[in-house]
Amino acid sequence: MDTLNKSLERIGRAVGGVVGTIYQAGRDTVDVVVRTVLPFIAFVALIVGIVLGTGIGDVLADTLAPLASSIGGLLVMSVIIALPVLSPVLGPGAVIAQVIGVLLGTQFGEGNINPQFALPALFAINPQVGCDFIPVGLSLGEAEPETVEVGVPAILFSRMVTGPAAVVIAYFASFGLY
Amino acid sequence: MLQAIENGAEYFIGIFQTGAGWFTDVVVGIVPLLIVLLTGVNALIAFIGQEKVNKFAALAGRPGWQYTFVRYLALPVVAVVTLTNPMAYTLGTFVPERNKPAFYDAAVSFVHPPLGILPHVNPGELFVWLGIASGIEAAGLDLTPLAVRYLLVGLVVIYLRGLVTQFIVDRMWARRDSAAATA
Repeated sequence: MDTLNKSLERIGRAVGGVVGTIYQAGRDTVDVVVRTVLPFIAFVALIVGIVLGTGIGDVLADTLAPLASSIGGLLVMSVIIALPVLSPVLGPGAVIAQVIGVLLGTQFGEGNINPQFALPALFAINPQVGCDFIPVGLSLGEAEPETVEVGVPAILFSRMVTGPAAVVIAYFASFGLY
Repeated sequence: MLQAIENGAEYFIGIFQTGAGWFTDVVVGIVPLLIVLLTGVNALIAFIGQEKVNKFAALAGRPGWQYTFVRYLALPVVAVVTLTNPMAYTLGTFVPERNKPAFYDAAVSFVHPPLGILPHVNPGELFVWLGIASGIEAAGLDLTPLAVRYLLVGLVVIYLRGLVTQFIVDRMWARRDSAAATA
């Protein structure tokens, strides 16, 4: 009887632990969705409304679509965004990448751009990723101040090479996609 | 006159209706899957535990070119997938001082490529992926091949970024060291 009670208790405890962990995971998830994801969807929805509802979208699309529908244009886009002066400014919250992404998305949706270019475009809108966050990110890894001093320019210059390179790699990886 | 006001009002509310339509599409089409998936991955990470991740991270500090795959490929992936943005960069602690910028560059470049498959890594910046992806979906195409290729190309790109940044950092340190030696 005693052993049965003990094993029942152990099972109960284990199940309780598992259920508790998953429940906590659900709580964390809903927290992130309500605090971060939904507000951003609302923000983008307003932008989409303004851009599509007023016709600004057509103007922007006329500028962006030709850039996004050729490998040369995508390279130009990535080089501009990766400029060491611009990349830290364009980084925060990835807002620029997200807004350009949504604008390009509507163009892909309307069939104005060959869908195969979606893959290189994903890299062309994002060569600045994390460029605003280098000192903080390095401090999170407990880097010395000297390392930060060297690291910031090193990463910014590196992006001038790897930003366009990523677009080229993605372009070659996009053959046969759609 | 009245007609003009009516037209103006219609134009005004039309802007928000367009936005609201887009909002509904995204909330109904994407958010439910995101919530269930995020819950699953968060629970999995809680089960695995932080100590195991730390033990693995210690490998990244070893010298030798074969460990660059750990430092700029495996560790950034594990860091981003388990710790997510921005806590992933704390694993830089395990990387030698002069490799930290390159590790950061590789890790931070991986916070978007998995978004099509593992949106928990950076749900706040989901639209870097979803902006273009929702357009592809609207065009009636399957998203899975794009999501998989985005992830795979991301792996190549972060390793390349790690190596290129390491190269530049080494040059800059060498110049500093020689300047310090002559001074």
